[in-house]
Amino acid sequence: MDTASAANALEFRRLGRVPYAQALELQEELRARVGQGESPETILLLEHPDVITYGRSAKDGNTKQSDTDLRRLGYDVFRVNRGGDVTWHGPGQLVGYPLLDLARHGADVHLYLRALEGALIGALAGFGIDAHRREGYAGVWLDERRKIASIGVGLRRWLTLHGFALNVNCDLARFDVIVPCGLDGVRMVSMASVLGRELDFAHVTDCVEDALRKAFG
Amino acid sequence: MPKQIRMPKLSDTMEEGRLIAWRKRVGDSVKRGEVIAEIETDKADMEFEAYTEGVVAQIVVEAGATVPVGTLIAVLRLPGESEDAVVSAEPAAQPQAASTAPAAKAPAPTAAAAVKTAAPAPRAAAAPSAPPAALHMPAPVAGPRVQASLVEDDGRLRATPRARRLAEEKSIDLGELTGTGPGGAIVVADLETYLAELTAQEPEADGTRATPLALRMASEAGTDLEGLKGSGPGGRITKSDLLAHWKREKSVGKEREAVLFRGALQLSQKRKALIRNMVRSKAEAPHFYVEMDVSTDALREVRDQANRDAGDKRVRLTYTHLMIKACALALEKFPSVNATFRSEENDIAMFDAINIGLAVDVQDELVAPTVKDCQGKSVWQLAEEANSLIQRARMRKLQPGDYADGTFTISNLGMFGVDRFYAIITPPQSSILAVSAIAERPVVRSGRMEIGTMTTLGLSVDHRVLDGVRAAQFLAEIKRLLEAPRELVQDGHGFGS
Repeated sequence: MDTASAANALEFRRLGRVPYAQALELQEELRARVGQGESPETILLLEHPDVITYGRSAKDGNTKQSDTDLRRLGYDVFRVNRGGDVTWHGPGQLVGYPLLDLARHGADVHLYLRALEGALIGALAGFGIDAHRREGYAGVWLDERRKIASIGVGLRRWLTLHGFALNVNCDLARFDVIVPCGLDGVRMVSMASVLGRELDFAHVTDCVEDALRKAFG
Repeated sequence: MPKQIRMPKLSDTMEEGRLIAWRKRVGDSVKRGEVIAEIETDKADMEFEAYTEGVVAQIVVEAGATVPVGTLIAVLRLPGESEDAVVSAEPAAQPQAASTAPAAKAPAPTAAAAVKTAAPAPRAAAAPSAPPAALHMPAPVAGPRVQASLVEDDGRLRATPRARRLAEEKSIDLGELTGTGPGGAIVVADLETYLAELTAQEPEADGTRATPLALRMASEAGTDLEGLKGSGPGGRITKSDLLAHWKREKSVGKEREAVLFRGALQLSQKRKALIRNMVRSKAEAPHFYVEMDVSTDALREVRDQANRDAGDKRVRLTYTHLMIKACALALEKFPSVNATFRSEENDIAMFDAINIGLAVDVQDELVAPTVKDCQGKSVWQLAEEANSLIQRARMRKLQPGDYADGTFTISNLGMFGVDRFYAIITPPQSSILAVSAIAERPVVRSGRMEIGTMTTLGLSVDHRVLDGVRAAQFLAEIKRLLEAPRELVQDGHGFGS
């Protein structure tokens, strides 16, 4: 009974600002525990210090700098097992790492991606931001050229890793060293740049948490 | 029965998937639950696990390829199965099997046939028209046990037990050998050949002992083998030793970097441009330097007098303003200094205007706004323009045009108590004046020691444009103007006004 109730619950953890490596370790540990039924499904909500991560499909040329140069510019650099190309994380960006067992959510990876997008679109609507999916390009978009949230997930069996990154108040210039997601001509925007004002990060986190609870709780 | 691995369907809407990477290679053993490949659909990567134990017998779809869901991507040989039990591939993947299938219609080969005949015959059983079931050939019952036992569960290289024992005795790194036995397994003969090679090997000049392979790898990577401990025959450094060394170096390097630096600064575009310019200047322009001490007693008098006379009607003149004026006058007199070397044309071009750049430090950023068209302008006018530029620089309000087209630069570190220094020329200019602190110094005049206020001017000069004599004359002219500064504050000097 206990395991069953633990398995059904969805837990949220807000971690504040966590270095990438540390968050990855925690994700992997939690995922293993979720897989063994020792831990409820968990969604981590956090920020990272400046970091550039390459997904497994990252191509050369989608960063304009070498790793050494990036480090010199104050970015940490990681190569990770998630879908997608290169991206930036850093202060002012809300990062969500759902550690779910998709076997309990329909065992369909596309459904999962669409559900993540749907949750973020819903949360953004609450702020008056009209965001959409873009056919063939995972993530949350304002239109064909402006992207506000990135998505990239990893799966082992049906256990998820990685997740989404929503630009809230971040310094968009920090994206300048990369071609976001390997898509030329795409501009990253943030909630702040769209609304023309700084947002209360904790409040945005609340709203995203609510939306995710509706989607996966 | 060999296990076929197919592109998984990760979603109802998934039609195809991309094979991002294989984590296992042919011949690698796989444990249940071990990741063998990574597969991508949309923005999700799946680490694809083996559900059964076995050995990767064949990789059908190479990394990077996108294939429809259900496509055979690899074949896994289960424990106890011989290699011959593994049928080549999906019929569609190897249509040529049909043409090389003389026995296509023959009954499934017997175990003995599968073992004895070369590959084509048993493979022919997987005729293109045959249903997938035909792939599930019966494994040879009396399979060659020796082959099965070659396969290591822990992913070690394939070698016969005898070869493995011998390798251990002789400290041989099996990773250096290419097996010639069944299925690429290393056999005793391979070891003997290898040992013979080692015996024939000439010792290295510096006494380093390493196997030929390790030597080649080290030289390709530019790794110095000195001081490295070898675990191979006769203490030779082997491939494994080298790989371990590289791994160690890599982690040490990272740790060192973490220890050495506290962080890094992001460079502004301006800083990047400055770095490029300075490196280019020092690399291309042969600098030489001339230096003169200048008495500034008269300069102070003239400055104070001019400010008193002007009262509140004009900006307050500073030494900097007087320097600008002196340089402008000297440049007018020496047009060859207000010039640049053009490498493409291989000539020296004279600038039309005299635009004097002022190196200004704004919150750790160096900018050099330029006072344009200095020729003929009074010191008052130059002062107003310079003040406006410096003020805008401090407010970070400079426009690109404000620091463009300089033909000469003044850099002043006097306020920081610097006694003398030399600056790097800003391309494409040919010289830069370094102004140091004005301070009281002992001076000798007409055989007597006196106290005077002095400064030292250092001029850096591009030797391609100017020679020592001309540089000295130019600097002497600046010195003359500063020591007899009346000329600097005369409104009517030069053209018109």
